[in-house]
Amino acid sequence: MGRLINKLGILLRRGRFRSDLEEEMVFHREQAEKEFLAAGIAPEVARTLAARQFGNATRVQESAQEAVGFGFEGALNDLRYGLRQLWHSPAFTIVMLLTLALSIGANSAIFSVIDGVLLKKLPYPRADRLVRFFLSSAEYPKFPINPFDFLDFRARNRSFESMAAFTRGDMQLSGFGEPVRLNGFGITSGYFRVLGLHPELGREFDFQAEIPGNGLQIVISDRLWRTRFDADPNIIGRKITLNTQPFTVIGVMPRGTMHPGNEYHALAYGDDVDVWWPFSFAGDPKNRGSHYIEGIARLKPGVSVAQAGAGMNAIMNQLSRELSGQDTGWKVLVIPLYDELVGKSRQMLLVLLGAVGMVLLIACANAANLLLARASSRQKEIAVRMAVGAPRQRILRQLLTESLLISFAGGAFGLALAVVGVKALVSLLPADFPRANDIHVSMPVFGFTLAISILTGLVFGLAPALQAARIDPKQGLQSAGRAAMGSGHQSRLRSALVISEVSLACVLLIGAGLMLRSFLNQLNLNPGFEEEHVLTASLSLPRSRYSKNEQVERFYDRLTMNLSSLPGVESAGAGSDLPWTGWDDNLGGFTIEGKKPPPKQEFHARYHSASPGFFRALGIPLLAGRFFKESDTQQAPQVMIVNRAMAELYWPHEDVVGKRISFEDQPKKDSDWMTIVGVVGDVKDRPDSPGAEPGLWWPQMQSGWLSDLSVAIRSRSSPDLLADALRNEVHRLDPSLAVADVQVMSKIAGNAVATPRFAFVLVGLFAALAIVLAGIGTYGVISYSVSRRTAEFGLRMALGARYGDVLRLVLAQSARFAVVGTAIGVVAALGLARELNGLIYEVSPADPATFFGVATLVVFVALLACYIPARRATHADPIDSLRAE
Amino acid sequence: MGKNQPDLLPGTLDMLILKTLTRAPLHGYGIAQSIKRLSDDVLTVEEGSLYPALQRLLLQGWVKAEWKMTDTRRRARYYTLTAAGRKQLGLELSQFEQVIGAIGRVLRDAEA
Repeated sequence: MGRLINKLGILLRRGRFRSDLEEEMVFHREQAEKEFLAAGIAPEVARTLAARQFGNATRVQESAQEAVGFGFEGALNDLRYGLRQLWHSPAFTIVMLLTLALSIGANSAIFSVIDGVLLKKLPYPRADRLVRFFLSSAEYPKFPINPFDFLDFRARNRSFESMAAFTRGDMQLSGFGEPVRLNGFGITSGYFRVLGLHPELGREFDFQAEIPGNGLQIVISDRLWRTRFDADPNIIGRKITLNTQPFTVIGVMPRGTMHPGNEYHALAYGDDVDVWWPFSFAGDPKNRGSHYIEGIARLKPGVSVAQAGAGMNAIMNQLSRELSGQDTGWKVLVIPLYDELVGKSRQMLLVLLGAVGMVLLIACANAANLLLARASSRQKEIAVRMAVGAPRQRILRQLLTESLLISFAGGAFGLALAVVGVKALVSLLPADFPRANDIHVSMPVFGFTLAISILTGLVFGLAPALQAARIDPKQGLQSAGRAAMGSGHQSRLRSALVISEVSLACVLLIGAGLMLRSFLNQLNLNPGFEEEHVLTASLSLPRSRYSKNEQVERFYDRLTMNLSSLPGVESAGAGSDLPWTGWDDNLGGFTIEGKKPPPKQEFHARYHSASPGFFRALGIPLLAGRFFKESDTQQAPQVMIVNRAMAELYWPHEDVVGKRISFEDQPKKDSDWMTIVGVVGDVKDRPDSPGAEPGLWWPQMQSGWLSDLSVAIRSRSSPDLLADALRNEVHRLDPSLAVADVQVMSKIAGNAVATPRFAFVLVGLFAALAIVLAGIGTYGVISYSVSRRTAEFGLRMALGARYGDVLRLVLAQSARFAVVGTAIGVVAALGLARELNGLIYEVSPADPATFFGVATLVVFVALLACYIPARRATHADPIDSLRAE
Repeated sequence: MGKNQPDLLPGTLDMLILKTLTRAPLHGYGIAQSIKRLSDDVLTVEEGSLYPALQRLLLQGWVKAEWKMTDTRRRARYYTLTAAGRKQLGLELSQFEQVIGAIGRVLRDAEA
């Protein structure tokens, strides 16, 4: 304790401490001198002897201070000294700071995304025990589940604590101003128990609610409760009007109840669900052809995902035996919820992290190079310090302090950049990107930035510091004034650094080039429809008031007719699926007249519905036959339209129009058959899907059981202007309907390529940063070497070398860096590009055009970077340079 | 300062300084001279070790320092042993004797 107080006392009166010590040592020397004099030695000799005996005064001062000082005092001194050094070379400092701030900032920003999306735990208790399950076959890797299968799974499985199923079903809330459509899900009992969530008010559904007819109950979100019902504390038991039916509120879920994401009519992970209704179904348990619910379950303690999968497959096999042939060909796919949610994004994010890590490496190499150059110009200073007795350790510490100072400052600026950058990143993210709301610059990001700042400072500071500390003071002092001071070892190190910079930049550029090609491929792709000038919206007709199919058919018929006659409208239609907005794997097995399916398979295709104007409004071309007509009604013969994929799959090289298919198991009468009247062009599920799925369309007027349809209106001018007119027309027919998802088709199309755009923009930015840094690095090394060789160049000129000769000499040096660096980069890129598989569309990871283009660009940049130093070399004046020696 | 002078055993410098100060307060130069004289010029205390050691002792509170006039009317910093220093010296001496005794026994045994 007393020791600490003493220490503090010394720290506070440091000046006094130093002067006391100084005086004491002067006294000591004088006494020694006196003694020598007394022994009869001449005064001058006595003085020298005394001084020599005493040794290095500075050193004594320093070690005395170290003995009593705090550890950080030395570091504080180093810091002050370092700050002074940096202040006195502003150009160096600014270049270093800028480089590091940009690269550390980019790393922190990308890490924020990784932290939010991949590292943060999902907001469910013991979320690692949650799994999703699907059916899977060779043809359909991920398929929804049949409700009867789900009941059997739930009854028989031994792997799960609890299981639940859910399916998308939005609802219209009316009776409170303008009707709105709410995101809704039908859920089995125990759905929230599986997730580990509990209602803040009321309860969740019990098994009773699964019985058909008991379904008029609803659980609502905290948001809906507050915004629509003024947080009414007596909401439980209140009746609210959904889909024009009275539902009794039985529970309110707390804020932050996250929807775990789903696959069919997908709603991304997030807190966007407002109502949960009890899922119930009826029918013949022997018929298991219809698949439309998704599964979620919680593993029992100690049960692995693989074990659960094996258990579920055993049940599936049992079912297939019991049901004699039904349910065969399916396997059960059990996937951890986390993988299901972020699996698709993980690869892209890791690629981005890799890319941004390379930028940081380049920045480190650059910084190390700058420091090396500076260390050589500081050789004299260091030699002097060592000559007066500073141990190598001290020099090393001093130099490392300086590089850490720079990297910390860079990190601080970088963090500021990251805060801005993350906002920009999130706004660039595709709308359906999982967990985008979880992305913030948070504590882990601070930690990460701190860690990489330290690491960066050590990485780029260590080599130059070690090099500097190796200086022999005698040699250093002698050669410091001369230009030729970079040792062979040093220049080799610097060349190696530049070459690695160039090769890293090359790898990044190739990655960016591949992504650019892929992105352009998707942009230039013929989507199969015309996205401009189209307004879309979705409607759902509540079954309570549109119980008859004819009512549905009549409603859409009148609506599309009224819309088509609006001024400025070219065509209008209604249909069950819009391009690129997600899809249902609703497959119908059917019979094709005169054909037999391959053994153990059935004919299948997606089925949709379309009104006469639907294809025209979306700009989907007719390839053969005709579109639907107003006369294709219930009274007319049953007709259908197929897409090209279906036509080529089942009737290759045949005229498809006039062919017949049937949905009856044993078609007999003529009215059991449906005749194909037209073939339309293909539209893929997503722009990067390998091909279109076979699909067929019923005329809307013959398929009234599909009551939730999308409306598409093609206008002559800006489609936005039609939004109000659309709402008016809908409400003129039915004021209680909500008009949801009002969007222009070009926006939907833009969203569909948001992911490749995001990846490309970022990798492109990083690559641009990389090539600029590599250019600066090359410039630095060449310009340094030119300044060293000025005398040589001057001499060469004096001896008759021409302008071009000297220029060539310098360019050759730079070209060597570029060529070696590019060669290494190309080889590395060939190895790494495989990681991009799945991220790039219709581009080979070894795309020769990209590789060649990048190689040319890199060499060009390297030559550009050395142009200015080369020019300077050619202007070397032999007289001047010799004088400078 | 010849090369063949034996080095001080590590850790003994503090003890020697404290011991030197038991008789009278001394300045740094005086301490160095005293140790040299008493050891018949065998032990030379280098200034590079002496002053840091003195600072250490000050810090521990085992010695006090004050500026005084020498006989030749020159200002010098005199170090005085404190009570704590005296206690510490006793402790170090007994430890030192134990170690020396032990070393001696080992050496005798090894000869026999």
